[in-house]
Amino acid sequence: MSEITIISESATPTQGNWIGGTACIDPASLNDAIGWELKPEGLCREGICVPVEDRERIKSGDGIDIAEVAKILGRPSLVSSSTNTVTIGQPSIIRSRALSEREAPDFTLEDLDGESRSLSSWAGKKRLLVAFSSW
Amino acid sequence: MVIAVAIDENVQAITELSEGISYPVLMDPNHILTEMYAISNVPSVVWIDENDKIVRPAAAEFGTNTFTEITGISRETHMQQVRNWVHDQIVPEDATFTVSDLTEEEVLARLHFRLAAHLQRTGQTNDAETHFDLAAELAPLDFTIVRASMPLRGRDPFGEEFFELYEKYLNAGSPYHGIPRNQISD
Repeated sequence: MSEITIISESATPTQGNWIGGTACIDPASLNDAIGWELKPEGLCREGICVPVEDRERIKSGDGIDIAEVAKILGRPSLVSSSTNTVTIGQPSIIRSRALSEREAPDFTLEDLDGESRSLSSWAGKKRLLVAFSSW
Repeated sequence: MVIAVAIDENVQAITELSEGISYPVLMDPNHILTEMYAISNVPSVVWIDENDKIVRPAAAEFGTNTFTEITGISRETHMQQVRNWVHDQIVPEDATFTVSDLTEEEVLARLHFRLAAHLQRTGQTNDAETHFDLAAELAPLDFTIVRASMPLRGRDPFGEEFFELYEKYLNAGSPYHGIPRNQISD
């Protein structure tokens, strides 16, 4: 297998190859790439499993079709064989819940010192979330 | 408390802008926040309460009155509203506004932007340009896409290109994912 870069919160070079226009990645690399593992119960992360109804659909050769996995997880993806990448977005339900149910989605980003911080690091407080930029 | 998130990858510029600030400043070079919260321009301020509920969705608010004449948005009004909320649990009427979800195109634009920024960082400039262009075609009036890409593409985000974008945006009725504000038109 060669390498395909999976881009989500960060860019992760992942064992995989292209079959036609399909990005197939090594099942063992799935966790590193997107934080989910394929188990008999389905796609799992931190004790939560999403059932995979048609396992054949996500299998492609020895690999897993990463775009299909994204779809099962409700996440949009951009498959680009010309740049050897698959870019995976956030679950769309998180955003629609934020807008309709007003549940503030948690996120983790680095501060200016490179420390990982989350919205939930300051749970239990009133917070003003200010998006700004230098542009 | 304030949590500032820079929709930006220029750590140096943000460090300079953040001088003297005591609240946390986080970097979001991959624009995760704009996808999760449907944010299309900065500055946008979201109020979140003790129970992680969004009390007031995204609205353009400024820390200074530099742009008040253009935007009609006053710093003092917002600060007073925040005080009323913090001290007396009073929220402004506009807080009930429901922000529209991103369209499929706007979501895809964010993925193209994220890919382009990665390609730019790894020296794949031509491919980066292609994907910045695709992102801009999908979300031509989204400042977090079009304007944010300018410095990454070696263009001036305060130059002619920005004013052209701003004019197109005004002519389109100022489409913004957030509480609509009174635009002072000419």
